[in-house]
Amino acid sequence: MKQHLGRQSGVQTVEVSLLDGKVDVTPKEDGHIDPAQLLKATYDSGVTAAEMDMTARGKIVKDPSGSLALQVAPNQSFTFAPNELSKGLESLADTPTTITLRGQLYKKSAGKKKPDPATPLTLLILEVQKKE
Amino acid sequence: MNKKNLALLILLGMMVGPMAEAQIKHIEKRVEGMT
Repeated sequence: MKQHLGRQSGVQTVEVSLLDGKVDVTPKEDGHIDPAQLLKATYDSGVTAAEMDMTARGKIVKDPSGSLALQVAPNQSFTFAPNELSKGLESLADTPTTITLRGQLYKKSAGKKKPDPATPLTLLILEVQKKE
Repeated sequence: MNKKNLALLILLGMMVGPMAEAQIKHIEKRVEGMT
């Protein structure tokens, strides 16, 4: 799995802990990394992803449907799953403020074996680390 | 370089600069079924 994930575009290092099943992926400094592709690659390597968290820095924007999203690259953004923390960021939408946050992109549903690739990943904010 | 080009360059820098700082910093997963 380590080699499989390490071959994905934009990945710098992959650390795997066999004891607790934790996988740490560090993206390249200037690379474009696609979490959905990483999730697929995890399944392709023969294991089941239980959950996936991401720490990212970007700007709060409103996507075409009017939902709040974190834009991490000109062509890459993650729509927020609504919660109290996302409500607190509404006033920062389309402002120059840069946010660093940690959020959950995927959690395996009970009884569901594989994520649906057609369903875009939504970001459930767990912690707002920095506002600049 | 004339003033127009210089202004365009500054404008471009203001647009691209902040986005260049935006990025995914870390991804952490928990997996099951690893041998």
